[in-house]
Amino acid sequence: MDNTDGWIEPSTDTEEFFEGARAGILRLQQCDACNTHMYPLKRRCQKCGADSLNWCDASGQGTVYSYARLQREYHPRHAGRLPLVIAWIDLAEGVRAPGNIVDTNGKQLKVGVPVQVDFETDPAGTAFPVYRLA
Amino acid sequence: MHTMNSAAAICGLGITEMGRVYRSEQSLAIDAVHLALADAGLDKSDLDGLLINSGVTPGVDLQLHQALGLQELNVLTYMQGYGSSAAQMIEYAAMAVHNGLANYVCCVFADAPLKQDQRSGAAYSGRRGANPITALMGAYGFAGANAMYALGAQRHMDLYGTTQEQMGQVAISQRQWATMNEHAAKREPLDMEGYQASPWVVEPFHVLDCCLVSNGGVAVIVTTAERAKNQQQPPVYLRGFAQGHRHDTGFSNVDPLVHGPGEKIMEKTLAMAEADIDDITQCQLYDCYTYTVIETLEDYGFCAKGEGGPFVADGKLGPGGSLPTNTGGGSLSSYYMWGMTPVSEGIIQARGQAGERQASNDLVLVTGNGGILNYQAALLLSAEAA
Repeated sequence: MDNTDGWIEPSTDTEEFFEGARAGILRLQQCDACNTHMYPLKRRCQKCGADSLNWCDASGQGTVYSYARLQREYHPRHAGRLPLVIAWIDLAEGVRAPGNIVDTNGKQLKVGVPVQVDFETDPAGTAFPVYRLA
Repeated sequence: MHTMNSAAAICGLGITEMGRVYRSEQSLAIDAVHLALADAGLDKSDLDGLLINSGVTPGVDLQLHQALGLQELNVLTYMQGYGSSAAQMIEYAAMAVHNGLANYVCCVFADAPLKQDQRSGAAYSGRRGANPITALMGAYGFAGANAMYALGAQRHMDLYGTTQEQMGQVAISQRQWATMNEHAAKREPLDMEGYQASPWVVEPFHVLDCCLVSNGGVAVIVTTAERAKNQQQPPVYLRGFAQGHRHDTGFSNVDPLVHGPGEKIMEKTLAMAEADIDDITQCQLYDCYTYTVIETLEDYGFCAKGEGGPFVADGKLGPGGSLPTNTGGGSLSSYYMWGMTPVSEGIIQARGQAGERQASNDLVLVTGNGGILNYQAALLLSAEAA
């Protein structure tokens, strides 16, 4: 197994994201010039190029762009959780975000189904977003 | 006629031992270059151009120039376009020789990710780094290309009804070819039961949906069509080529896991060759995964988007099929030299030197794919000039 030291240590430029997660809020970057939302971490707006990104609170609602079931452990967090669902989530803000869909047992998991953000805390104390079927 | 149609040709091909060859990637690159020179009937001093591309291990770089003891070069650079690099190098080499910058340009790739004391995928699955967003990706389990392409395959299955068996048929057809290739690592026959019994990696991918991990090196020498006519091997003319590269924007209004840049470059490639898709008699497609073959066939227009699963299901990619594809077994069953796997088999086939696995070779499509369907380069090869 790789990444045995893979717990997350927030940096100064991502602390808004992880502090948001601790407070139960999904945060994205947003361009002041063109209002485009982005999944972090971007230096400039990916659409208009403006040097004017700020953090904003996202709705936490989205739909499944795609998903796959991890059947091998690649990180200490995966132990005892296989198969773990990894997914790209199309957020209401027009951003595609990576994550896990947790507690899917017995529920219909399909491309396009709605999800809602939730949060998990790793052993080092860092909170981060995951998703649940809505 | 387009000035590059049949202006350049491939006159040398070097393929080292493949697989569990526990040597440095630089030594494999050096051997590949010398094998290509011998194949072409050229001396080291004839070489005046060198394009270098490395795989996942870092030891193939600009130092190769000195390690080879090459004196005067007119063209030299290290390039990286991941799985599209091999076809890209040949394209840049063709333009260089056609425009008189160099006479013989060698394009080389070598990689040695297999180590005696590591599992085979170790070099590919690390996702370390100080960036906490990257660390979060690792914690989620976005563990390299396997996970990324599995997400593509699952979307394709949900949108279009593509089945596990259809992906399995790609693996089976290619294995049928591999049984006839002495360079292939996996030569034992494979049926659907065997495919289904293969362990999961990231569902919907079994181990047998994923390419091999190989040590080895491949080198290709490109020269002008005129010079190639006088070399010891039959010339393989570069009839058409194009590239397309696409950044996944991260916005939800794009669909990058089921639409690759191949959609944009087939038309350009055919236009340069003044050919029609129906003129293509065989394909050598970049097959990092079974899914990539299905997706690429759609992008290049062999069937409509979404119909790739049913398209491959009748075994038409295999021996005796109507569209022989990855006739050496491909990266799934022969060896994984990134884009050099389809390039090397394309050259062998275009020369008519594939022995019992020889397929109709009037016009051979070779594709390279890098990143997660981000970087694409295509070649049309033929033993006949336009």
